[in-house]
Amino acid sequence: MHHMLHIKNGIVIDPKNGIKAEKMDIFVKEGKIVEESEIDKSQCKVIDASNKLVVAGGVDMHAHIAGSKINTGRTMRPEEMRMVRQIANKFRATVGRVLLTSPAIGYEYAKMGYTTSFEAAQPPIGALHTHEELDAIPMVDKAALPVFGNWHFVLKYVAEKDIEKLKTFIAWAIERTKGFGVKVVNPGGVEAWMYGKNCRNLDDEVPNFGITPREIITSLIKATEELNLCHSVHLHCNNLGNPGNFETTIETMKLANGFSNDKRQVLHVTHVQFNAYAGSSWRDVGSGAAEIAKYVNSVDNITIDMGAAIFGHATAMTGDAPFQFTLHKLLNARWSNKDSEIEGGAGIVPLMYLPKNPVHALQWAIGLELGLLIDSDKVVLTTDFPNGGPFTEYPYVMAMLMSKKMREKELEKVSPFVQKAANLPSIETEKSLEEVIHMTRDLPARILGLENKGHLGVGADADIAIYNLNPNEIDASNDYELINKAFRNALYTIKGGTIIVKDGQLVEEVWGTTYWVDATKNVDMKAIEDDLNEYFDLYYSIEKENYGVEEAWIKNPTRLVMG
Amino acid sequence: MLIIKPKVDFVVSVEAEITPDIADDLEKAKNFEVYYGKDKVKLEDLFEITKEGDDKKLVLDGDFSKVKWIGCRMEDGEIVVKGNVGANCGAYMKGGKIIIEGNADDWLGAEMSGGEIIVKGNAKNCIGCAYYGDMQGMKGGKITIEGNAINYIGEKMAGGEIEIKGNAGDFIGTEMTNGLIVIHGDCGFVGGDMKGGEIRIGGKFELMPTFKKSEEGFVGDINVGGKGVVKTL
Ligand SMILES: [Zn+2]
Repeated sequence: MHHMLHIKNGIVIDPKNGIKAEKMDIFVKEGKIVEESEIDKSQCKVIDASNKLVVAGGVDMHAHIAGSKINTGRTMRPEEMRMVRQIANKFRATVGRVLLTSPAIGYEYAKMGYTTSFEAAQPPIGALHTHEELDAIPMVDKAALPVFGNWHFVLKYVAEKDIEKLKTFIAWAIERTKGFGVKVVNPGGVEAWMYGKNCRNLDDEVPNFGITPREIITSLIKATEELNLCHSVHLHCNNLGNPGNFETTIETMKLANGFSNDKRQVLHVTHVQFNAYAGSSWRDVGSGAAEIAKYVNSVDNITIDMGAAIFGHATAMTGDAPFQFTLHKLLNARWSNKDSEIEGGAGIVPLMYLPKNPVHALQWAIGLELGLLIDSDKVVLTTDFPNGGPFTEYPYVMAMLMSKKMREKELEKVSPFVQKAANLPSIETEKSLEEVIHMTRDLPARILGLENKGHLGVGADADIAIYNLNPNEIDASNDYELINKAFRNALYTIKGGTIIVKDGQLVEEVWGTTYWVDATKNVDMKAIEDDLNEYFDLYYSIEKENYGVEEAWIKNPTRLVMG
Repeated sequence: MLIIKPKVDFVVSVEAEITPDIADDLEKAKNFEVYYGKDKVKLEDLFEITKEGDDKKLVLDGDFSKVKWIGCRMEDGEIVVKGNVGANCGAYMKGGKIIIEGNADDWLGAEMSGGEIIVKGNAKNCIGCAYYGDMQGMKGGKITIEGNAINYIGEKMAGGEIEIKGNAGDFIGTEMTNGLIVIHGDCGFVGGDMKGGEIRIGGKFELMPTFKKSEEGFVGDINVGGKGVVKTL
């Protein structure tokens, strides 16, 4: 039901529109935020938000919420599925500890006041599965990022230095997978893994292609920028999870030099916590967050997300198949390897972050350091769900960023290794409420190129969260428990103008849209037709005609036309 | 002591995590929440409950073969089941005693860490095992089956003792790390991926080819560098 809404007397924080904790009213009509004059007050539902925080719905730009990886995780971790969250009533039954079932994902985001979530790594050949699962997630808007960095077409065009064909292929692939942008996971490294190798450094050669990760990343940035996609290249760096890898990360970021875009970054580096380790082994490992922060703060074409680690259960699932194997060996834990034909691979390994484990405590500290040391206009709050832990702990991370006192208390509980290996104990910074709202709303929306998300200006989608906090009274530095509590359960979550959560409880189920990007307008598919036919003929297990997802198969698609 | 009798023949499973903790207070027992299929109901909706004396004991009188999770997580006291009992009886049990005069179902004493379970009849699969995905099965206590059992006995068992007086099926002590399994009769495959502990068998059995003969019996599973012992009674 679309009501007209009048959200009255709330204390609004809307960083994109320069509104800093001002008492004002918000008006909603037909799923959009409108001017007061558009509203018929006699018809309109009034929400009294006096002394409550009113913000845009949260935007999770990087989580693993749908597709073969999380589903394999669910299959191989039956112990994750023993926690019953909700038995069937007006809403569907949900289970899951950290690896939630599809409806649970939508419901838990909604309770937290989040209204958008992006699946961050879609194996292209598994696109239909991914969309089927996205279609089973209620409450939020969503999209999926197909992975490109090891796809044979990409490797071939990079080797041939043919940017035009690469652009055409990207446009073809995003259309076929109904994807949103260009995700890159350990470029070249997953192809090398097919031969038991990896590409840890930017100049390691990819077997049989005579190219390097450096060339793959640079070519993909160039192609993405020339196609003018709404989202930049979204990169999971090489050398993930290894001591000393922060240098690889900074070297990788430098590949964006020379590229710029008026609207957004040209490279988003994801879950940087896993790529921010100093040292040369697990014995002398330390934090490289300060060096990364220094670099990111010095340029204006890079953004990152934290990939914060949360103590407790998690499941590592990435398209970085060689890393997953390393992790399996390191932890002696269960492992599943996935192969997506000539497109890349993936792996899944259960894990648990323990506060007393020196390495885990360091990872926890590094995630927070990135959030604290990097300019709030360049770092998004994520846990790389479920790699760093559950997204339901975002409020914990928000509170930690805002309170040194809370961090001191938490530091008492963790391995003392952090005291010498990390920067966290000496960081004084406390992010403001406005900054944390920015890092969870309009910044991720801007990074993704979603102009109607993450803010409350006229014309924006009416995705709104109201929390039981008065920004003009709260002292986040001391009242961190209130912050942590308030963001867990929104007083109201409004999705596209419909009240879906009230007092932290679900009240109505809605189905968000699935965004997909159509960049086919400015390319000529004929350029790659012969190559597609040849590769499908020779290497794929299915016919080209049967590959991909038709728009009509998606429950509620929104096509974004580029160019 | 409480005497608990089913009021009807159950159409679907009942999940009743009852322990002797409810024996002290008849009202508490009557209002104890259980699931009948997907419906949450009170214990008294499904069972007739009477109180006799003050000992910490439950007597389950009748057919409880569709009633699951009896004695789950119990710490002390006694449960006597006069007939058959459903799955997961004594799961996660820490102490006390359960006597089943009839037959037991699957997952008897799964992941238990203390106490004793005695089955006068037969039991089914997954006795003293780890639930799927968990790292350890039974860690302590004792399970005795007077009759026969089926497959998966003491998978990932890490302590305690399982004794089966009759025969058993396949996969005895798979991934076992500690504890003792005694089977008086015959059984199938024994000790796959066994790392420690001991299995003693009275009758015929099939050994994995990855066990080495030694003075003690057979030691393995060498596939996982195991030091488990399999020997005849
Ligand atoms: Zn990720």
